[in-house]
Amino acid sequence: MTPPEALLSARALTVKYPYGDVQNVVINELDLDLYPGQIVGLLGESGSGKSSLALALMGLARHPGIVSGEVNFRGKNLLKMDDEELRQIRGNSIGLITQKPRQALDPLVNVGKQISRVYRAHSQASKADAQVRAVELLRSVGINDAERRVNAFPHELSGGMAQRALISMALSVEPDLLIADEPTSGLDVTIQAQFLDRMWERARDANIAVLIVTQDLGIVANYCDRIVIMEDGKIIEDRLTADFFADPHTAYGKKLILASGAGTKSSNAEVAIATTPEILRVTDLRKTFEVEGGKRLQAVSKASFQIHKGRSLGLVGESGSGKTTVGRLILRLADPDSGEVWFKGERIDSISPKEFRKYRSKIQAVFQDPFDSLNPRWPIERVIREPLDLHTEMSKAEKAARVKELVSLVGLTDDILQLRPGSLSAGQQQRVSLARALATEPEFLILDEPTSALPPAARADMIRLLKSLQDRLDLCFIFISHDLSTVRELCHDIAVMYLSEIVEMGTSEQVFSAPSHPYTRALLDSVLFHDPSSRRVDRKIKAELEGEIPSPVDLPAGCYLAARCPMAEQRCRDDHQALIEIGPSRSVRCWKSVEASK
Amino acid sequence: MRRYVLRRLAVGVLQALGITIAVFFVIRALPADPVSRIVGMNPTEDSIRQARHALGLDMSLFQQLLTFLGFHGDGVFTGSLGTSWVSGSTVLSEIAITLPTTIQLIVTSFIVALVVAIPIGMATARRPGGKLDKGVFGYGLFAGAQPEFWWGLIFIFVFYFKMGIAPAPLGLLDPELTAPKSVTNFVLIDSLIAGDFTAFKSALGHLVLPVLTLSFLLVGPLLKMTQQSMSRVLSSEFILYQQASGLEKKSIGRSTLRSALAPIITLTGILFGFMLSGAVLVESVFSLNGLGQYAVAAVLNLDFPAVQGVILVISVISLFVYLGLDLLLAKIDPRILVK
Amino acid sequence: MRKRKIDPLLLIGLIIIAGSLFLAIFGNSLAPYDPQEPVGDFSMPPSADHWFGTDGSGLDVFSRVLAAPRVDVAIAVTAAIVSAVLGTGVGLYAGYFTGRFSEIVMRVSDILQSFPVFILAMVLVTLTGRNVVNLIFVLAFLYTPIFVRLTRSEVVTQRTRTYVEAARATGNSEFQIATRHVLRNSLAPSLVQLSVTVGFGILLTSGLSFVGAGVRPPTPEWGIMIASGAPNIILNEWWTSIFPGIAISITVFGYAAAGNAIERWARK
Repeated sequence: MTPPEALLSARALTVKYPYGDVQNVVINELDLDLYPGQIVGLLGESGSGKSSLALALMGLARHPGIVSGEVNFRGKNLLKMDDEELRQIRGNSIGLITQKPRQALDPLVNVGKQISRVYRAHSQASKADAQVRAVELLRSVGINDAERRVNAFPHELSGGMAQRALISMALSVEPDLLIADEPTSGLDVTIQAQFLDRMWERARDANIAVLIVTQDLGIVANYCDRIVIMEDGKIIEDRLTADFFADPHTAYGKKLILASGAGTKSSNAEVAIATTPEILRVTDLRKTFEVEGGKRLQAVSKASFQIHKGRSLGLVGESGSGKTTVGRLILRLADPDSGEVWFKGERIDSISPKEFRKYRSKIQAVFQDPFDSLNPRWPIERVIREPLDLHTEMSKAEKAARVKELVSLVGLTDDILQLRPGSLSAGQQQRVSLARALATEPEFLILDEPTSALPPAARADMIRLLKSLQDRLDLCFIFISHDLSTVRELCHDIAVMYLSEIVEMGTSEQVFSAPSHPYTRALLDSVLFHDPSSRRVDRKIKAELEGEIPSPVDLPAGCYLAARCPMAEQRCRDDHQALIEIGPSRSVRCWKSVEASK
Repeated sequence: MRRYVLRRLAVGVLQALGITIAVFFVIRALPADPVSRIVGMNPTEDSIRQARHALGLDMSLFQQLLTFLGFHGDGVFTGSLGTSWVSGSTVLSEIAITLPTTIQLIVTSFIVALVVAIPIGMATARRPGGKLDKGVFGYGLFAGAQPEFWWGLIFIFVFYFKMGIAPAPLGLLDPELTAPKSVTNFVLIDSLIAGDFTAFKSALGHLVLPVLTLSFLLVGPLLKMTQQSMSRVLSSEFILYQQASGLEKKSIGRSTLRSALAPIITLTGILFGFMLSGAVLVESVFSLNGLGQYAVAAVLNLDFPAVQGVILVISVISLFVYLGLDLLLAKIDPRILVK
Repeated sequence: MRKRKIDPLLLIGLIIIAGSLFLAIFGNSLAPYDPQEPVGDFSMPPSADHWFGTDGSGLDVFSRVLAAPRVDVAIAVTAAIVSAVLGTGVGLYAGYFTGRFSEIVMRVSDILQSFPVFILAMVLVTLTGRNVVNLIFVLAFLYTPIFVRLTRSEVVTQRTRTYVEAARATGNSEFQIATRHVLRNSLAPSLVQLSVTVGFGILLTSGLSFVGAGVRPPTPEWGIMIASGAPNIILNEWWTSIFPGIAISITVFGYAAAGNAIERWARK
């Protein structure tokens, strides 16, 4: 296709940060053209200048940066315009959605006022009209109870809600160019899918140019027409999406494609139902937390499952589903309200913390945040040695040997042993956590989103490492994650959680090949495959969910999904659903699914 | 909002009461004998007993406390702070004379310091790493902790003795002037009420060096805070977003200022409380008969009622200052009310 | 990552601190004259014999300036260390183990901190007796709540970090977590405060003497020296007050600079 005239073209665009006499150049003489109706994905490692570029295209830089060069918007250089002319373009012809929605809102002003301020900056509307418009806009981005929410201050909003408020601001004026800096990084997958679908439609219908800054190759493959990769403040690759996926030119591009290969297809086809001895059994686990105003937040409700030797259970769900709390309850980092936890035939939920300590060497954990999981003041050697000090009678030399053994087991080298966690990469830090967890040869592990905070390449490496350890050490673990493709790769069994409840359980193969619960289906549909030939926007989505996840403090009487579910009937809203077995080791919490399976 | 104010007031009153009682006991628990100061050299047993009785020291500690609080006649609860053991006049009347001098000194110094610190701090925040920025940093660090009494002397030496442009550091007015009729006990205000502009000018002149001394030190931390707060806000995500949304410069400026102000207000409150008792050194250098000087005399004479009175008054004033500033903060920042 | 360069501020601070500690130990022996014995003519301006002149009682100002750190610096350093050790311990406990004890500790330190510091110091020192040991006790007592507060609030933040959770999951007891993991990560604010507190201690010690509520003359002490010269400064006898003042000014700046540099370093 021959490109139409560029909507925006940057020439020799440069951003510098002066500090005294030193200048730090973050965007270096860069050229870029953006066209109407085209969605461009901007990729690059952190520190490559992606976010700075997004801002510079509006003639902006974070304080105290300086933008120079040319940014021609409809043929006119933004950087040469007077303040008033520039102001009219920003927020009007060019809209911005930032990565940190809550920080982007003024903490001292309520949301309605902020929306109407932006609206009034670009129209002649009166204050009262603008306020009315603010309510409309909030409703249009799917915020329930918009009349009340306009008076909310940013600290009273969840990240997702703040993101919607920002989106409503950016779209309030129907821009010609939308710049979105990691717009979905804080959102759950089903919400992310909603947002991206809407943005895609908007771009197609209104012929808007869109630039999405992202780290997620899935987003690029599914929604972007063109891909731009940055490195050290320069563009190193600028291709059409399909071409890029077929044959990436740069090393970074190749690395990305390689990393994405790890998560696309299932490798544990046809896993048999467990026959090995049971290691862990959880029955009717329940946990609530007290929140402000004396109400109780239901974090986990009636969770029951068991795990057998050598097998792994994937606990999948979005934020607030209670999956992490289940892990914490098993680890005794929190105490359940009711229910039982049995480890190899011994009940471990009601013994004293002191007694539980002897089980610690058998039950270990890896947590989500790689850096925060390690004591920042300790050298790595001491971190890994700690469980040996606490639980074994080994001699100094034996410990040293074991530490070295562990380090090589997780694919690290001895030279990191004297370093502190701060000087390691996130991927290395997470391997150290894993080495520590494996030190005492535990019989059971809880892996709480160990890959979520890692950049794409490191994530792929970590998954590969876990897979090989699984084979070599016959590990038995719970893998907690919101990332379905990872779970599919690593786990024999799956439990899907939604708002404190397990809604579907089965073997990996069963759940992925024939998802039964509407929520599971929506979750599977929102997976963005790293493959431009199988795009979500081309698929026909049946199980799309609407609206927001209800608050876990005020849960509905019936099925918790009813308000969002496309299949919901009156009976769903009235009756609370029970988890019902529909086959060997397979159960689902939805009467319609149960009936359909008969 | 109202609940917040009431809660803060209740906590504050309890705290002031706690302080008062604590001071009461601390003074009496320590090994010092106020009676010996009063009866003079070579006292007889009888005169000691009489003195102890007159001061109420022969009662049990608990009874003394009740008396002080006002359960037997006038006391704290009825608005009386007792009678000075040294001068015989009521502590309250003595504080009423000395306190305005101190307040006048401190308030003027704060106004000067804020007027200097805020604009300079805001200006330097826009250009980090520059010469001015480094200068401000160095000054802030230096002036944050310095012997104010010594700087007062230096200023006297330079501006009075060497240059002769400041009046002698002796009191609030030129000695040859008669003081204006006392109404508020604030010399500046009283002289205006009396229509005595000579006295007003003289009072202002006498205020220059003490205020210079205090604000020279106050500007340090205030400047540093303004600069930090301002550059934090300037590089914040929401100011950037407001620019990206095409809001008008004026409107963005207002947002910036409002956000940057909160930490400055908090610091001002802390410094004010600190100065209420710290001003004593500067008062001493410039022979200003303020609350600090009164406190020094009370302590050195072991005049317990005066000591208790001064500490209580200072605590209550700080309490109200903190409360006022917190209300101002809550007005600016809705998040305060959540905590 | 930038190159590792020594922070000039840290260097200045450390040099001044080292100097002040050196004088606190050896100042007396370095002094050319006995700092408490009149050496001849009084109120003499600086000369080759008496570098900083002599004061109204005929004491050698230079000798007194050198000898004073034994009082000022020694009091401030000792008091600061005592209050830091005490405050950090209490703060760790109150921050890590929430409960009735922590509540009481916090309320008590609230009240202590809302006292007017200077006047309270004056009262306590006067009533306990104006000598060096009592000054140390009073200063330590006044400064301990600051360390309690700082440590506690840092501990409260550290406690929620994942490494604490990980330490628990690894099998540490609560006591082990508090002492091995949390304490080490909560020390930075106290370390900064320690240096700053020494500076404030010197100011308080000399300020108290200046108004006549500190150690007694003729002890060589900077505040006393400034006070003794104060009435004569308008008679052009500037040297008695100026020199000890410069000493205080530089010393206090040194501790503040070091504190600031440590803070910057700890933030990295």
